Formats: sequence, C-alpha cells, structure tokens
Amino acid sequence: MKYLIRSGIPFAIIAMWALCSKTAAEDFVDLDDLLEMDELLDDDGTLARGGSAAIADPLKGLNQAIFRFNDAAYRNIFQPFTRQYVRVIPKEARKGIVNFFNNLEYPVRLTGSLLQFRFDRASQETGKFFINTTAGMAGFMNTAQEFKGLQPPREDIGQAYGAWGFKHGFYFVLPFLGPTSLRDFVGRIGGSYVDPISEPWTQVDDSTDRLTLTAVDTVNDLPEIIDVYNSITGSAIAPYTAVRDGYAQLRATQVAE
Amino acid sequence: MNSFSLRSLCATLLLTVALLPNLRSNDLDSTKDALESTLNRLLDVLHTNHSTAPYSVKKDQIIGILNRQFSFDVIIQRSLGRNWNKLNDSQKEQVYTLITDLVLQSYTQELQDGPRPDLTFYKPKVITSSKIEIESIVLLDESKVNISYRLANIKDRGWQVYDVLVEGISMVSNYRKQFDEHFLKKSASELIDILKTKLQEAQS
Repeated sequence: MKYLIRSGIPFAIIAMWALCSKTAAEDFVDLDDLLEMDELLDDDGTLARGGSAAIADPLKGLNQAIFRFNDAAYRNIFQPFTRQYVRVIPKEARKGIVNFFNNLEYPVRLTGSLLQFRFDRASQETGKFFINTTAGMAGFMNTAQEFKGLQPPREDIGQAYGAWGFKHGFYFVLPFLGPTSLRDFVGRIGGSYVDPISEPWTQVDDSTDRLTLTAVDTVNDLPEIIDVYNSITGSAIAPYTAVRDGYAQLRATQVAE
Repeated sequence: MNSFSLRSLCATLLLTVALLPNLRSNDLDSTKDALESTLNRLLDVLHTNHSTAPYSVKKDQIIGILNRQFSFDVIIQRSLGRNWNKLNDSQKEQVYTLITDLVLQSYTQELQDGPRPDLTFYKPKVITSSKIEIESIVLLDESKVNISYRLANIKDRGWQVYDVLVEGISMVSNYRKQFDEHFLKKSASELIDILKTKLQEAQS
C-alpha cells in the first residue's frame, strides 16, 4: 500500500503533465484549417460581432449611380470646402459645435434606448444630458465624459427596430447623405419626430433659424464624414461594395450591442 | 507515513488542477501584452524619428514589427477566400505584396497624422479554444475608435492576428465581399492593376 501511494505521486504528476500537454496541443489551430475557404463563415459564429451582416441590394444600379454622384460631390465640392473650413474654424470651436448638436440629439437616443427597454442606457443618457446642459454650458462642453458611468453607446430608432427583429429590408443610397436601408430610413423619419430642431415637432419656431441650425450642424460634421469616407474607400478595391458591407456590418454590431 | 503520502498526492493533484486555468489566463494576458507592445512599437516608429517620412521609407521597419504578431498571409488569403485559387503563383505573390502595402500605407498614414494616439487594451475574450479577441480603444483628439484584434493560436507560429475589426467591421469580411464582387466580372490581372493604381493614389 505504501509502495502504491509512493509510486502514485510521480505517476499523478506525469499524468497531469500529460493532461496539460494534451490540452495545450488541442488549443492550436492548424494553418491549413485557418486558411480553409469557407471557415470564415462558420468558425467564429458570425462575421460581424452583431450577427449576419447581409443586406439585400435590389436597386444596385440606381444605388451605384447615386454613389458615383456622391463620390464626385465629396471629392470635388465637400472635401475642398472642409479643408478651408478646418483651416478657418479652430478645432476647439468645431468640437464645441459637435458637442452642442450631440447634446440636442438626446431625445433621439433616449427614444432609441426606451424602445429597446434599455432603461439603464436611458438613465445614463439622461444623466449625461443633464450634466452637459448645465455644467457643460448648454452642451458645448462634454463634461459628462469625465464620468465612466455616463458613456452609453449611441442608440437610434433604426437600431431599436433591429433589436425588435426587423431586417434591413433593402439597401439604398441617398443623394449627399449616403448609405441607409429601408428599416433605418424609417427609423430616421421616426427620429425627426423627437428631434428638437427638425419638423414636425420642432422647438425652433422660425424656419430660417431651423435651416441655419441644420446647415451649421451638417457643415460642422462634414470633416469627420469625409475622413471616414476616405478611410473606407482609400484602401478599397471596390468602394461601393466596401461602403455597403461596412454599413451593414456596423449596423449589425450596433444592434447587437 | 501513509497519511502523509496520501496528503501529498492529494495536494499535488489539487495544485495542478488549480494551476491549469491560471496557466491559460497568464498565457492570454501575455498575448495581450505582446500585442500592446507591438502596436506601441509601431507608434514609436510612426511618431518619433522622421515622423513625417512616408510609408515607403519606414516600410521594412513597420512590416518587421507587425510580422511578429500579424499573419498577413492568413489575413490576405482569408480575404480572397475561394478567389485565391484563381491566381497563379506569380499573381499570388504580387497580390500579397500589393495588398499588404495598400492596407499598411492607409492605416499607418491615419495613425501618423496628428498627435500620437493613446491605446487602451482590454482583457482577451475567448472565442474558441484556439481563438481569442482582444478589444482596444484608440483615443485621438477625444475621438474614440474601437479596434478589435482576432488572434488564433496557430501551430508553429503561436498567437497571431488573423482579422482586425474597426467599430465592429471585419476587415477580412469586408475585403472578401469586395473580392467576390471583383471576380464576378473581372480577372486576376485586372485586380493587380487596380491595386497598383490604388497604391499610387495612396502614396501621392
């Protein structure tokens, strides 16, 4: 018995080492397996973190024509304009304008959170809005960024539809505004009902003031939009497809979050 | 003596079992640290000596740093998917070099412009027993970009990046869609021409 127990100790150590080695060996993936052509589609469960990023494109011909139009407008009109805009308007001022309009979009994000029953995010959005509106001087400063608990992901109504199980419907490209889908476009219209600037429930009575605010918001966002667009298309071999798939993957991820 | 040996045996077994998950966890943490170190070294190259120098000047240095943890052959071959077999050996080599240059040129240019970004890495998430995902945040001028790295524990190579996700957009998947679209109507030689043109545009 004593012999058995004594010989058992080294045996147990060797057995456990063998087990460790076996576990480690099984944790490797063979290079050929990783290069398997269709492994991309099933191994990780999903391509995008948010699930299937497929999007129907029945209006492809028309979409491609609008995409080319937008591309020409971005490169020949908006890009030269934003270069001058960035040169003239200081970075701090641009950041302040971005913060101000982001703060005004609080009702859209709040509605997106509530429609998904994400009350935790709704309360975070409310806290963020309260702090930025007061301590952040009407939203020009993003004071809430100092609080880790007040950093909810951006929600919108299109995402809420996605969370309810609605698919994209189909993809289409809007002149100047870029990619969207039927689901997200309906969400955008829904968002305009809670947006304090846009019609129909606007809080800005004068139509000229509304137009001015919308123009300032759009122009101020242009440099970032152009940067993102250049980033996607700059290294793309098929820019239209790169943008369409990027949009589908991004929305899938946002819906899943 | 008997009870002592029995206790030793039990203690050995328990210790070994208890250490197993720690070994695994330490392995993953060291992989994350290695990735963080690799990308910080890349930023060192982009933001210190001759920081305005173009990609072509720093190319060998950049590829040398990234090659330790990025398997570009896997990334590119997975991006092309079944289209990879439509290329002959010479075309494969050209496509490999051109895509590597195009992607690195574009992304390093973005990292190089402006002040040095801050990188924050999070604890690796296990996807499968041989694959993990490491999430990170790139903070540049108060703008946050989420970048995730998918790594596989490749036999004879160790933990290697095989896909990069920017704001949830998989680079491999995005390129796969583009290559599928390209090969529906166009040839491998046309792909090489497009890549050469794109690279020239990116360098200008």
